[in-house]
Amino acid sequence: MIKLHRGDHTTERVATTMRMRKPLLALGTAALMALSACGGSGGGGDQPTSKPSVDVSKGGNTGSAMDPNRQGPVEIDGAQTGGIIKVISVNGLNTMDPSEAYYTNTYSILSGLVTRALTQYAYDPETDTVTLVPDLATDTGQHNADYTEWKFTLRDGIKYENGDPVTAEDIKFGMERTMDLQTFPESPGFYSTQYFEGGDSYDGPYSSKGKKTLDSISVDGNTITIKMATPFPDMPQWASFPANGPVPQGKASDPAKYRLHPLATGPYMFDKYTPEKSLTLVRNPYWDPATDPGRTAYPDGYDMRFDVASEKIDQILLNDQGDAKNTLSYDDVLAPDLRKFQSQASDRLLIGPTPCTQYWAPDYRKITDIKVRQALAWAFPYEGSQLAAGRILGVNRILGSELLPPGTPGRVEYENIPGHAAGQTDAAKAKALLEEANAVGTEISFLFSTDDPNDVKAKDVVVAALKEAGFKPKPVPTTIAEFSTVRADPDAKINVRAGGWCADWPSGASWFPVLLKTTDIAKDGLGQNLAAFSEPAVDQQIDDILAMPIEDQAAAWGDLDKSIAEDYFPLMVRGYYGVAQMRGSNINGMYNDLVTSMPTWKWMWLTQG
Amino acid sequence: MFGYIVRRLISAALVLFLTSLFVFGLLYKGPRDPARAICDSNGRCTPVKLENLTKAMGLDKPVLTAYGEWAKGLVAGRTINMGGSANYECSAPCLGVSWKTRTEVTKELVQKYPATLSLALGGALLYLTLGVFVGVLAARWRGTFADRALVTSTLIVSSIPYYLVALLAWIYFTQKFPILPQSTYHPITDSPAKWFAGLLLPWLVLGLTNATQYSRFSRGQMVETLGEDFIRTATAKGQRSNVVIFKHALRAAIIPVVTIFGLDFGTLLGGTVFTEFIFDLDGMGRWGLQAVFTPTDIPVVTATVLVAAFFIIMSNLVVDIIYSLLDPRVRLG
Amino acid sequence: MWMSGSQGTDTLTVATEEPTPGRRNRRRQRKATSGSTTDIQGKSPFQIAMGRLRRDKVAVVCAVIVVVLILLGVFAPLINNLWHISASPDGKYALKNTDVLEFDGLPAIGPPLYGFDWAHPLGLEPGTANDNLARLLLGIRTSLLVATLATVLSTVIGVVLGLMAGFSRGWLDRIISFVTDLFLSFPFILGALALTPILVSRFGQDASSLGRASFIALIVILTVFGWMGLARLVRGQVLSLREREFVQAALVIGVPTRRILFKEMLPNLVAPIVIAISLGLPAYVTAEAGLSFLGIGLSGVPSLGQTVNLARSYYEEYPLYLFAPVTTIAILVLALNLLGDSIRDAFDPKTRR
Repeated sequence: MIKLHRGDHTTERVATTMRMRKPLLALGTAALMALSACGGSGGGGDQPTSKPSVDVSKGGNTGSAMDPNRQGPVEIDGAQTGGIIKVISVNGLNTMDPSEAYYTNTYSILSGLVTRALTQYAYDPETDTVTLVPDLATDTGQHNADYTEWKFTLRDGIKYENGDPVTAEDIKFGMERTMDLQTFPESPGFYSTQYFEGGDSYDGPYSSKGKKTLDSISVDGNTITIKMATPFPDMPQWASFPANGPVPQGKASDPAKYRLHPLATGPYMFDKYTPEKSLTLVRNPYWDPATDPGRTAYPDGYDMRFDVASEKIDQILLNDQGDAKNTLSYDDVLAPDLRKFQSQASDRLLIGPTPCTQYWAPDYRKITDIKVRQALAWAFPYEGSQLAAGRILGVNRILGSELLPPGTPGRVEYENIPGHAAGQTDAAKAKALLEEANAVGTEISFLFSTDDPNDVKAKDVVVAALKEAGFKPKPVPTTIAEFSTVRADPDAKINVRAGGWCADWPSGASWFPVLLKTTDIAKDGLGQNLAAFSEPAVDQQIDDILAMPIEDQAAAWGDLDKSIAEDYFPLMVRGYYGVAQMRGSNINGMYNDLVTSMPTWKWMWLTQG
Repeated sequence: MFGYIVRRLISAALVLFLTSLFVFGLLYKGPRDPARAICDSNGRCTPVKLENLTKAMGLDKPVLTAYGEWAKGLVAGRTINMGGSANYECSAPCLGVSWKTRTEVTKELVQKYPATLSLALGGALLYLTLGVFVGVLAARWRGTFADRALVTSTLIVSSIPYYLVALLAWIYFTQKFPILPQSTYHPITDSPAKWFAGLLLPWLVLGLTNATQYSRFSRGQMVETLGEDFIRTATAKGQRSNVVIFKHALRAAIIPVVTIFGLDFGTLLGGTVFTEFIFDLDGMGRWGLQAVFTPTDIPVVTATVLVAAFFIIMSNLVVDIIYSLLDPRVRLG
Repeated sequence: MWMSGSQGTDTLTVATEEPTPGRRNRRRQRKATSGSTTDIQGKSPFQIAMGRLRRDKVAVVCAVIVVVLILLGVFAPLINNLWHISASPDGKYALKNTDVLEFDGLPAIGPPLYGFDWAHPLGLEPGTANDNLARLLLGIRTSLLVATLATVLSTVIGVVLGLMAGFSRGWLDRIISFVTDLFLSFPFILGALALTPILVSRFGQDASSLGRASFIALIVILTVFGWMGLARLVRGQVLSLREREFVQAALVIGVPTRRILFKEMLPNLVAPIVIAISLGLPAYVTAEAGLSFLGIGLSGVPSLGQTVNLARSYYEEYPLYLFAPVTTIAILVLALNLLGDSIRDAFDPKTRR
C-alpha cells in the first residue's frame, strides 16, 4: 500500500486546520440510485443534483498495462516550455528520503519529478490510465521461469544532479538501504525483506550487526540480479518505487541529512527545501530526456508550499487570479466549496477514482460469530457516517462491498451478505441477525479522535445507528496523534478497528497477503491485519494463489475476495476513496495518476503568455 | 539597585528553570508514551523497535537525568538518536530535534520566529501610538460627545473576543471582498513590499483592537494626571494647554501605560496563536499549535512553551527594572 | 493568562489593578456618592454599590441580557424537547442525516438552500443534520457552566492564597508570591495546548466519561491559569489592611488568625473580589470559546467556539451556521463585560475620588 500522505488515511481524521488528502471517486450506478432515493425522501424533492460522475471502473487499475520497450524522449503535441508550476497543500511532506518515501505525495513527487528508479509509470492520455515502462533500467526486468530471479540492466550515461555517474552499485545500495527498517521505520522495504532471498534476516546497511550488504542482490557491470526467496511476479511494479533507485554510498547519503536533499536523477532537483513549509525544484542539468521513456519536463520548475489552510487553497484556486493560474493543489476541495467549483470552474476540477478501500475490521478474536459481524454490516450507517465526516458522497467516497477496488484485474462483484447492497443500512435486518445469534447488546468499541470534530460527528452518527440496531456502541476516545498507535496495539480495549488500504499495484497480492494473512501477533503485532484475522485455510489459499502461474492469479484473487466474505466476513468494506482536485487555468496535463491518485506530474505544462 | 536587579535575575532564571522542568516532565512522563507514538504510525512497531527507540530517546531514564541531558544540550549541543542509525547533530543551543521534520528545533525556531516578531512589532507599534494618541485627545476633550463616543465604542470593541474580530476581518477583507492582500508571511529580506502587504491585515486587526484598550487606559491615566497639582501649577503659570498636556502630563501618565505595554508585548513575542492561526501566518504560535496535533511533537511543544515563557519573564523583568529607575516612589523589595 | 493579542483573558491579570477610567460623568458620580455616604441610616458598601448599579442603564440592560442567556442555558434541554429539536444524532427528536441532507452534506430543508423553516429556525448542521438552535442553546449552557465553575474555583484559590501570603508575610509569602510569578510567566494558550491532551487522556477512558473529562480538564486549565491576578490583588490589600488599627487590635487581644482572616479582613475585600468575579466571568467565556475554536477545548459537548471553528469554511455557502454562534458569543461576552465594568465602577472606591 502506498500510504495516503497525510499520515493515516484510514479514518475520517481531519485536524481542525488540516484537510486530509482524500481521494475521490464517483458513484457506481447502484449507489447513485440509492442516494437520489434517500435524497428525495427528505422533502427537498427537486434539489439540485449536479453531482459529478466519474468512471469508477478504473479505481484499482494502477497500470496493469506494461510496455517494456518504450523509449524516450517523450513529447506532448503543442505543449509549451517554461513557467513555474505552483503547488499548494495543507500537509507537508513526511520525508523526502527516497528509501522511506511511502506516502502518496512523497512517492509521487519524488518519482514524478526528482528521483528515478528502475521502472516507472507513464501516463497514457489515450486510455487515461498509466502504463509501466522502463526508467533507469533498459526494460521492465527479465525474470526466470518461476519468477525467483529478476535481472535489470542500468542504462549508460545516467548522472546525478552533481554530475557524478550513477552506478549499478548505487542501485544495489539504494535497494539495501530501504530494507533498513530500523532507520526507515516507514519505508516500504518490507516488500524486499519479505521476497528477496535472505531479506528476512537482513537489517540493512546501517543497522546490520554483521554483513552490511545483501548477497541476493548481485551486480555485474550494468546488470543487477536479484534472487527471490519466493516467486515475486510483481517485481517490475515494486521496482518503480523511489526506494528502488540509486543512492550514492557513504557520507553523501547520511540518513539524517539525505531526506533534506536527495540527489536528483530526474528532470528536477531540490533547490530549497524547508520541511513542512516549502519545496522549490529547479531543472537538473544532467537529466537526459533521451534516456527517459516516461517524463516530460516543460515547466522550468516547481514551487510547492505546504501548510496552507484548506479554505485558503479553495479560495485561491477558485479566484484563479495572477499566480493562481499557475497553481494546483492535490488536496480535495472542501465539501462546502464543491458546488462553487462545479458551477464556476468545472473545467478546472479533476474528479477521479483511487485504488483505495475503506473498511471496518472487527477483531476476529473478539467478535467470533460471523452473524454478529454481518449484523454490524447491516447496522453500519455507510452514507450517514460519510456525510457527518464532511465527505462528499459519490465524489470522495464511493459505496462498495468488495475489498478489491473497482478496476482491479479479476475483481468479482458480489453481495457481501446475501441481499445486502453496497452501502445499505437496515437496522431491522441487523437486529434480526443479532437475535438469531443471541447477541443483542453486543458491545462494539471503536476509536475516535476527540480533537477531530469531523471524526466526533461521524462517531455520533455511528453510535446512533448501532444503538438502533441493538448493539451497545462504546466509542473509545483517542487523539489524532495517538490514533494509529492505539489502533496498532493488539491489546487495545477495542473490538473494531477502522482501516483503509491502497493498492501498490493492481493485484490481489497487494491486498490479501498483507491484510488477511495470519500475523504473529506476539512477535510483530497486528501488522496491517487490523482484524487479527487468522484462518489456516485462508493462509493456505493465499500461498496457493501466489504459487500459481501469473496469468491465473488475477481471477483467483477475485474469487478469494468473494469466498472470504461469504465464509468468514472478516472486513466490513465501507467503500472506496475518490479525489476532487483543483488547478489554475494555465495548467495543462493534470490528470489523475491512478497509482497514487496524485496529479500526473510527468505530463504537465503551463500555457505561456 | 544593583542588588535588586541581581535578585530579580536570579528569580527569573529560577522561574524559567522550573517552567522548563515542569513542561519537560509533563510531556516526557505524561500518560502516553512518546516513543510509542513515533515508533511507527502504521502498526509495524515491534516490541524490539519500541525498546530501541525508548533507549535511544532516553525515555527509560529517570526524568531528572533526561532533563539533565536536555539541559546540557541547550548549553553544549548534543547528538540525538531516534532509533535506527540516523544520528542528528544538534548544535548549541539545542532544543532537540523535531520528531516530525527531523530538523533541529532551534533552526526551525529561527525560521519561524521572524513572522511572530514582525507581527508583534508592527501590531504593537500601531496600537501603542494610536492608542496613546487617541487616549490623550480624549482626555484633552473629556466629557464631550466625541470623548464619550470613543470610550463607549472602545469598550464595545474590546469586549468582543479578539478571535471573532480577527476571523470576521479575515473573512470579509480577504475572502469575500478581497480589498486587502491575502495574509501570508514573506521574509522582509526577500521582498519588503510583500512582507508589508502580507502582514498588513494582521497588523491592522491586532493593532486596532488593542488600540481600543490602550486608548481607554491612557485616557484614564491622562485624566488622573491632569487633576494633579503639578499640572495645575503649570497651567497657572500660564503655559499653553498643549504644552501642558504633551510635555508635562503625558510624561507622567505614560509610565503606567508603558508598563502594561511591556508586559503585553512580552506576551505577544511569545507567540500570537490566534492571529497566526486565523491569518495563516507561519510563526511560532501556530507552530506550537500544530505540534500538539498529529503526532504530538514534544521537542517543538517544549521549545515554544519555553520561548514564550522566556519572553514573558524577560518583559516582566525589564518592566520592573525600568519602572524602578523611572519612578522614585517605587520601593524596591 | 493573556490570550493572544492581549485580549480576552488579560482582564484577569491586569484590569483588576489598573486605574479605572470609568465611563461616566465623574461629577455626577461624586454627587451621588456623597449623597449616599452622608445618609444617616448607614448603608453597607454593598448596598451602596447595588444602588449605583440600579441607576446605571447600561448595567440594567446588560443584566437583563445576561439573565435571559442564563435562563436559555439552564432550560436548554427543556426548550429543545418542547421545540422537538435535537443536538445529537441519538437524541429523541434527531433526524437521520441521510434523509435530510444532500450529497455534499448541506441541508435539503431550510437554509441555506431553501427558505426559513420554523421547525429549525437556525437550520441544520451540515453533515450531521443536528439542529443548530439546539446546539446553540446547549453551547450557551456549556459556556456559562464552565465560566462559572472556573470563576468560583479560581476566586477561592486566589483569595485563600492571597490572604495567606499577605497575612503571613515571611517565607510563606515568598513561596506563594514566587508560585504566583511562576504561573504568571507560563504562556496560557501554549500551556493549555500542552496540558489538554494529557488531562483528557488521564480522565477520559471512554466516550461517556470523555465529555466530563474534557470539561474537568478545561476548568482545571482555566483555574490553574486564572487565580494569580486575584491572589496578587488580595495579597496587596491584606498587606495594607494588616497595618490598620482594627486588625492590630484584634492581633493584640489574641483573636485567632483564621478569625482575623475571615471575619475581619475578608469583609473588607468584598469589593475587589466582586470586581474580579464580574470581570473574570466574561474572560472565562472568551477563553472557553477560544480554546474550543483552536480545537483544544471541549469535545463531546456542544460548544460555541467549536461550532465557530467548524463553520469557518461555510462563511459563504451557509452564513447562518457561522454567524449564529459568533453573534451569540459576542453578545454574551459583551453583556458580561459591560456589566462587569459597571459593577467595577459601582464597587471600586477609586471611582469616587
